[in-house]
Amino acid sequence: MRGYGATLGLYEPGKGFLYRLPTAVKAAASLGCAVAVIAWRSPSTTAVALVLTVGCLLVGARLSPARLLRMLLPAAPVLGILALYQSLAQGWLRAFVVVGGITACLLAARALTLTTTTQDLLDGVVRLVRPFRSIGADPERFALAVSIMLRSIPYLAGMVVDVRQAARARGLERDPRVVVTPLVLGAVAYAHRTGEALAARGLGDEDDEDDDGP
Amino acid sequence: MIEFRRATVRAEPEGRVLLHPVELTLTEQRVGVIGPNGSGKSTLLRLINGLLLPSSGSVAVHGMDTATMGRRVRRSVGFVFTDPLSQLVMPTGREDVELSLRTRRIPAADRKQLASDVLARFGLEHLADRSSYDLSGGERQLLALAVVLAVEPRILVADEPTTLLDLRNDARVRSLVAGLDQQVVFTTHNLDFALEADRTLVIDDGRIVFDGPPPDAVAHYRHLVGSAAPGGA
Repeated sequence: MRGYGATLGLYEPGKGFLYRLPTAVKAAASLGCAVAVIAWRSPSTTAVALVLTVGCLLVGARLSPARLLRMLLPAAPVLGILALYQSLAQGWLRAFVVVGGITACLLAARALTLTTTTQDLLDGVVRLVRPFRSIGADPERFALAVSIMLRSIPYLAGMVVDVRQAARARGLERDPRVVVTPLVLGAVAYAHRTGEALAARGLGDEDDEDDDGP
Repeated sequence: MIEFRRATVRAEPEGRVLLHPVELTLTEQRVGVIGPNGSGKSTLLRLINGLLLPSSGSVAVHGMDTATMGRRVRRSVGFVFTDPLSQLVMPTGREDVELSLRTRRIPAADRKQLASDVLARFGLEHLADRSSYDLSGGERQLLALAVVLAVEPRILVADEPTTLLDLRNDARVRSLVAGLDQQVVFTTHNLDFALEADRTLVIDDGRIVFDGPPPDAVAHYRHLVGSAAPGGA
């Protein structure tokens, strides 16, 4: 289970102005990009959003064009099918608006996660949730849950590959039970282990200093 | 100081006894626990930081009962698992250390520097920005130790910390453990490691069957395993 973090949106150390921008600014820009391409659905809006996001990643995160394309590779099949459908149904200009808009949003979100450490994202989430403390929300717990979710995606993706390879090694890859059963059991065991490890480190404990008793 | 007062663990709901009443006071700097697979070693260790609560009896760490003062106990007792991947929950080593430091309410700006200092202290600064998935087993285990020790617990509990390691990394982890100021309680199948303790317990079938100097404990364990093996003594 190696290297899935890179394809699935985790932080990668690097240089460039995006790394120095505050998390709030990057998050607002990413959100702004999504709002713009949804609110003003036009070829020009999409083109501007694409130029800005691609430009930001190439210059602001100093990515190579090849690296940028590889970043989009996991989404390419879905984007391709969508482009084909939109072209046939509503014409190529409409396909550009839809697929280009989604691509710009993906890149904007990736620019945030690529150049922001998980700890800085956690701090951002904590600040975002803090106003809801009065209604019982625990910002640290919420942020921890988000970070565990982010961490679990590459782990589970790796598990899928491992289980498939194990099934193939036994010549049983055509039987879905052989893949699904260990995957479900593995995911539950992983959740259990992670919960235990967090508890052992005192993460997720209540804020207050005192215990329940005596 | 760790005190077990007739601490017993039963598996619910069938009531099978996993750990028979344990009466112990551990004050030694290095305490080793050896025994066959499934004998109750990990159960004993999990009692120390409240990951597991006794079905009857009690466990106290520096006077704090694990059942009623669990949070405080966990702040005093660091726990290292056999498989470090289940313990490392952040994308990089530095971030995992930072996550540990969050429990101490350290400001974000100081956390980064402190995390770098912790990694440097354990000679792991080169792992700071690498993914946990890309590290070797030994590097992961050393990182897991650093992550736990970052918050300076008073006691370190390690459940078979060298089981998945090759000889070189086994030696590195043992050397790191030997240099710690904290009280360390560890389980192991490596009898050389067990000999490095100040006191060693032998557990079999949920019972502490020997408690004493490591050479005698290892000899007792060898005899136990030998007599249980087919054609054994």
